[in-house]
Amino acid sequence: MADVPSRLDADALAPLVYHELRRLAAAYMKRERPGQTLQATALVHEAYLRLADAGAPWHDKRHFVGIAARSMRQILVERARARGAQKRWAALDRVTLTDALAVAAQEEAMLPALDEAMERLEQVDAELARIVDLRFFAGLSIEETADAMRLSPATVKRRWALARAWLHRELGGDA
Amino acid sequence: MTPAQQRRVRDLFEQAVDRDGSAAAAWVAGEAADDPLVRDEVLALLDHHSRAGNFLSHPIVERMPALLADEPYARGAVVGPYVIERELGRGGMGRVYLARDERLGRTVALKVLAPALVGDPSQRERLRREARAAAALTHPGICTVYALDEIDGELAIASEFVDGITLREEMGSGPHDPVEATATARDLAAALASAHARGIVHRDLKPENVMRTRDGRLKILDFGLAQIAQPTGAELRAAALTRTGVLLGTPAYMAPEQLRHELVDARADVFAFGVVMYEYACGVHPLRADRADAIPGTLGEVVARCLREVPAERFGSAADIVDALDRAPAAPASVRWWRTHQLAVAGLYAAAAVLAWQIKEWREVPLTVASFLALGAASTAGGVLRGHWVFTERMNRRRLDAERRRTRAATRLVDLFAGALLFADGVLIASVRALPAVAAFALALGIVLAALVLEPATTAAAFGEER
Repeated sequence: MADVPSRLDADALAPLVYHELRRLAAAYMKRERPGQTLQATALVHEAYLRLADAGAPWHDKRHFVGIAARSMRQILVERARARGAQKRWAALDRVTLTDALAVAAQEEAMLPALDEAMERLEQVDAELARIVDLRFFAGLSIEETADAMRLSPATVKRRWALARAWLHRELGGDA
Repeated sequence: MTPAQQRRVRDLFEQAVDRDGSAAAAWVAGEAADDPLVRDEVLALLDHHSRAGNFLSHPIVERMPALLADEPYARGAVVGPYVIERELGRGGMGRVYLARDERLGRTVALKVLAPALVGDPSQRERLRREARAAAALTHPGICTVYALDEIDGELAIASEFVDGITLREEMGSGPHDPVEATATARDLAAALASAHARGIVHRDLKPENVMRTRDGRLKILDFGLAQIAQPTGAELRAAALTRTGVLLGTPAYMAPEQLRHELVDARADVFAFGVVMYEYACGVHPLRADRADAIPGTLGEVVARCLREVPAERFGSAADIVDALDRAPAAPASVRWWRTHQLAVAGLYAAAAVLAWQIKEWREVPLTVASFLALGAASTAGGVLRGHWVFTERMNRRRLDAERRRTRAATRLVDLFAGALLFADGVLIASVRALPAVAAFALALGIVLAALVLEPATTAAAFGEER
């Protein structure tokens, strides 16, 4: 698939995307109002519009979204590592998994471990890893993910379920 | 597992996932009966699928602004007129960098405020006002604010860079004796008083906000800025409801009225001062202290009054604390006793040296010459060590504990050695000079008792139990 970025592309473009996303995120934080939540895809879209004119070497928006999703994973994992997430991470436990708020707090802590699991998943089935990048790290819907990967929404939905189950096991979800 | 098996796992999972739990398991068991590895893998994944709950269901990117917005500046980054050298730390208000102000060529501490704190224009205005007020403070005990800059929509406060350690780090070495604690309290209160005289309240005084410079002076950081970081009552209630919010201030050092979000004045700082000094003197926060953790003398009375629940019962401002501390004697009686004891022991050694000289004159046998030399050396060592302790106590108090620990064993040894020599000399001359022999016995007893009994007692009274 031409629109799935290679590792080299993503590594080379990550700083560009990173800089833009950081700027957009900081700007967003300044105008944040209570009750308003960030639309993840809006952030990606805005970054794309801003970078589209810059002559960056992606073919189309699909290509960009793939790179952006992978860059976001890199950025977020680095940030979580810098904040000492690894030290706090033990394993998922079933009690906190049922509590949405606790999950949100835990996910940041588990990012480095998730990233390592993602590398293993890439070895097993790279397509599943791409779906996780797009869904979880770039915030794309099933339909948007299907469009970006040129798959049917039903296939994406089932493979997304498989990827989640796989990662859930890798992260010690049976603890 | 081979790639072919992996593909089979995926296909079976995808076909089973929409089926009912037990039906799916039975179907998979039938389909993959020929390959137990594949069958077990699919069943395990189906099991995890059924238990995954919310796992990964909220895109992480929705929380990314919070993750990204506190991205630190790297070394060499240019922020307005400042060039970042390194990050010094981060707190509720944002990050603090060591930076160079290119306009004036001076080093500053640059506090870049967290975007969430300065989003609201009214809050920005309040911050500007506070920074202006803080910039008016020019006491040597208060970190000077140089400038408030608005750079690319971010607010940054440049202030004097204080090179040293925080009081929190200084506390890490354990409790401090009353004399040292009183000196620290006086410096801290004097700096606070100069701000209170201008009507400026710190509001977030805590050990992390007080620095000890390399040359031993105290500096209070972040004057008047705490109010910005303080959540409003509504935010606090919301945080209590959702359990996600974290108190931005430092409740452990806040006065009761401040915790209730009432209007605070200098007496809130007086309360925080009391908590800080209690912790400094006792090594433990007053709420976690037991009855045994009491500060003796005037400082104890001052701290107790600072910690009163009702503001009206505390000191009106830090200036009153300075007055109260100034009325206290420079050193408590226990420390004066300790000094007297040390000088008395040095005196005993001088007498022993004189006696040894006489003994040598009285009996010209090789043994007494050797004994004189040894006793002379021991007396000199014992006397000099006592002098060293008294000097350290008077001139470099913070080193006293360490110096005593370093030399305590040697001192004990010298004391016992000198006592034994004096005793032996007494025996040697007992037949020719009865009276000096008794004097030698008395000196031996005096030095040994002073070392083994009196010294631990006076030291414990003056500086607390031996550590």
